Amino acid sequence: MSKNHGFRRYGLRTFCSLLGAAVLVAAATVFIFFLPQDVQSARRSTSFLCMECHPEAKELISKGNVHKPVKLGLCTSCHNPHASKHANLIGSDINALCYNCHDQRRVLAGTEVHAPVEEGACLECHDPHSSNQKGLLKKTASEACYSCHPRKDISAKKNVHPEVKKGNCLGCHRPHASDRAGLLTKDRRRLCTGCHSAKDERLVSSHRGLNVAKADCIGCHSPHSSDNVGILKASMHKPFKDRKCGACHLPGSSKVSRAGTGLCTECHESKMSDFNKRYSHLVNGDGLNPCVNCHNPHSSDEEYLLKDKEERLCFSCHEDTEKLTAKSNFTHAEIQKCSSCHVSHGSNEQYFLAAGEDTCSTEQCHATQGRFTHPVGDEVIDPRSNTPMNCSTCHNPMGSPEEFILRGGKDRELCIQCHQV
Amino acid sequence: MMSSIKLKWLIVLFALAAPLLHSTRGYCAQQRNVELIAMIGKDEVMGTFNEPAALFYDESKQRLYVADTVNNRLVSFDPGFTFLASLVHENFALPMGIVKLSTGEFFITDGEKAKVIFIDVKNKIIEPLNIRNVPPAAERFLAGRIAIGGDEHLYVIDRLNKRILVVDRNGNFLRSITARGREFYGFNDVRVDDRGFVYAVDTLAAKVYVFNDKGRLVSKFGGDGRLVFPVSVAVDSRGYVYVLDRHPGVIRIFDKTGRLQYDLLKKGYNPGELYNPSYIYIDAKDRIFTIDGNRVQVFKEKR
Repeated sequence: MSKNHGFRRYGLRTFCSLLGAAVLVAAATVFIFFLPQDVQSARRSTSFLCMECHPEAKELISKGNVHKPVKLGLCTSCHNPHASKHANLIGSDINALCYNCHDQRRVLAGTEVHAPVEEGACLECHDPHSSNQKGLLKKTASEACYSCHPRKDISAKKNVHPEVKKGNCLGCHRPHASDRAGLLTKDRRRLCTGCHSAKDERLVSSHRGLNVAKADCIGCHSPHSSDNVGILKASMHKPFKDRKCGACHLPGSSKVSRAGTGLCTECHESKMSDFNKRYSHLVNGDGLNPCVNCHNPHSSDEEYLLKDKEERLCFSCHEDTEKLTAKSNFTHAEIQKCSSCHVSHGSNEQYFLAAGEDTCSTEQCHATQGRFTHPVGDEVIDPRSNTPMNCSTCHNPMGSPEEFILRGGKDRELCIQCHQV
Repeated sequence: MMSSIKLKWLIVLFALAAPLLHSTRGYCAQQRNVELIAMIGKDEVMGTFNEPAALFYDESKQRLYVADTVNNRLVSFDPGFTFLASLVHENFALPMGIVKLSTGEFFITDGEKAKVIFIDVKNKIIEPLNIRNVPPAAERFLAGRIAIGGDEHLYVIDRLNKRILVVDRNGNFLRSITARGREFYGFNDVRVDDRGFVYAVDTLAAKVYVFNDKGRLVSKFGGDGRLVFPVSVAVDSRGYVYVLDRHPGVIRIFDKTGRLQYDLLKKGYNPGELYNPSYIYIDAKDRIFTIDGNRVQVFKEKR
């Protein structure tokens, strides 16, 4: 009885107090979390203050497309108003700064990542404030591409792919990352048929009636430009150029008339002896014809009808060498091609070197090597291995964490391995 | 007080993590020690090796034979690894593999002609071995490395056809051994144990294949990051498979099913290290022979 009396006396008051508190909390929550972002941001906007001293910045933010934090006046979301160890008082490393808002996993989604993206050089292509281009690009998409990929290599030839002419690089390539080589948007065998129907009469007749629906178009045609008709690649295998398909293929078929290297050695028999060396590159990769591991039997933009740019081709198998080179602080300077030092078929020298240890000391390269530097050669024996010393005893041309691509620290670590105190 | 608690936690964490660090399933295996018994490379009489590619130890005569490849010669050493003699002949060049029969004749693979050469020193016969009745294949026969089984059959790598030909001493074809699958690039080295099991290494796929004496695949391992660039394989008396991994400069030891046991050696130029190794061989006493550039090193494992 007394309990009921108590409830009547205190219950209503407690209930009212709790209800009032709940209403207040709800109102505060709405105020804090659900107020329009612009209103919230305006409260934190510092642009008015910044512009007082940086009126020139107005121009930076006056173009058609404005970066969202700039639009909201949130200068301090990227710049530290007091001090920073980064240029332009940027709050942190650019790479980390951009990924604060832009999902890194989405940007880097793919096995192939565009080099500037990998290096965190977002500002190579994008303007952080405003731009008249879509995606805050500094220039049009194609101009942005041409700033690193020279126009002369892409579109300067006589016959230009119409999409290249239009500057539609992003029609075929992704700008950040892709699962396909060349940052292609689709598998290279499906990319072309998106625009060029394999059933198109002209296309069928120009390929002598062969079904090219699943063909690797880029194997023969340059996707950008060429001086050849049909934008065929620069160098053509003679039978292909002479339209003598039957030299290698069965009549009316894409099947080859003979399996294996025999097809190639019918004309190039002398090449076989190149492989019969201490170190040989004769590897029957896919079991069909080892020659086509590296060479395109139809046409190529590369020397010796190579399937791809030499460096890319070599690294497609020598992945760990690519990793070593990529992670090394120091690499051999100004070497464009693997074949500057290595021979590709076979060699009696370690590492497939073209001229053994003389590879380094050619007139064009290190002509003075061995004359006034550390002695090397057959008479100079490495006490560690009891074998003659050569350049690669101390240097690793594929890359090293040490200066002069040395195999150990130059001040002490390397020398004391032989010259013991 | 705080630091003492932290220390205790560290000890507990380390104790928990230690078995993981030494896990045989991971890529990081326990490193064991070996004793360097000999290092051969240069001798006043012999001169210097030039890219030797293979070696063979004759247990009955206690002789080491090295295929001194770019010098186009075979070189022999006594049990103390002192140079004995060398054999040069116009009928062979670039010897890439070497085995010896119990009756004293050698078979080598000639790298220049990519053929198997029969050498009978006593009767001064050096001639190509005519391998007969080989099933036709897409490619011509180019001989790679060679091994010999307890039954004195020869196991020759047919490089382009991605198979191992098993032939008798007269060159009669007995059977072929191969693997299947997209990730199979061909064999680079082969060895046979006392029970006739065949061990072959596919360098590009970074895999080791084990076949039984009938040529049936019984296990394969690698291709998962545990091996980087395996170039040669050998088997010890316990049946452990020793895989010479060139780029990291180590020997990785597996059991027959592919469970990683431990590692031997490390990358380097110093004696007892491997810089650019190309061949491994284990004799009946479980001594390990490696070829690394122009030096042959002989090790004894500390078990």
